Amino acid sequence: MPPTHDEISPSEAREALDAIEHSRRQVIAEIDVPGWYWWFLAAGWVAVGAAVEFGGPWVTGLAPLLFGALHAGLASHALSGRHRSGDLSVRREVAGHSVLLVVFGFLVVLCAATLGLALLIDADGARHPGLLASFMVALMVLVGGPRLMAALRRRLARAGTA
Amino acid sequence: MSEARFDELIHPSTRLSIVALLASADWVEFAFVRDRLGLSDSALSKQFATLEEAGYIAVDRVVSERRRRVRVRLTPAGRAAFDGHVAALREVVALAEPPAAAT
Repeated sequence: MPPTHDEISPSEAREALDAIEHSRRQVIAEIDVPGWYWWFLAAGWVAVGAAVEFGGPWVTGLAPLLFGALHAGLASHALSGRHRSGDLSVRREVAGHSVLLVVFGFLVVLCAATLGLALLIDADGARHPGLLASFMVALMVLVGGPRLMAALRRRLARAGTA
Repeated sequence: MSEARFDELIHPSTRLSIVALLASADWVEFAFVRDRLGLSDSALSKQFATLEEAGYIAVDRVVSERRRRVRVRLTPAGRAAFDGHVAALREVVALAEPPAAAT
């Protein structure tokens, strides 16, 4: 016979709550952007950098807009953080909007970093400052993006218990 | 806040882990649950059958990327039972904790 409410000891109840929390964390561990997203962002950043560096005025103006539009089209699915793989769909209440907000903040930092690096490289007299800066920022995307998501998952796991 | 209601069907540790996993997701693939809980296909199928019979979970067979996949999700009844069970467990723990000392 399974135990009833009255037969459950506090330690058994605590163990059950720990097991529930463990399961919740297993789902939180799946919160992430799809694997291709950082590669897409890094490649796009370099492509825009190259277009700005070598293209005419039209290309320089249109390349960031086109990339921005393409990114916006993919963002709603990719940046929900709920569909890293085809294994599960994380509940909206669990993932919240944290992935979207964190990536948006990261993008703002990346834009500022690109501009700052390009100005520094230009002041140094090197050739193709825009392209060099975009390469450096693309590297930041590939290294920093996954680390940022790992930090976010740790924060989500700590917030709230079963 | 859900009404505390101990659920004997959910409480056994394997079923509790399954339902807790499903509670944080819209749906979960059969293989994901199996791998995370370290169960065999047949053992997991048995647990799913019990939960499905109780109306706590729904099992959907879908074709994705040319493969047949089995996706499992908690039904509203299953979610209500799980929330009530968690509330009941918390109640047991809270009753055992000594009241805060008056200052």
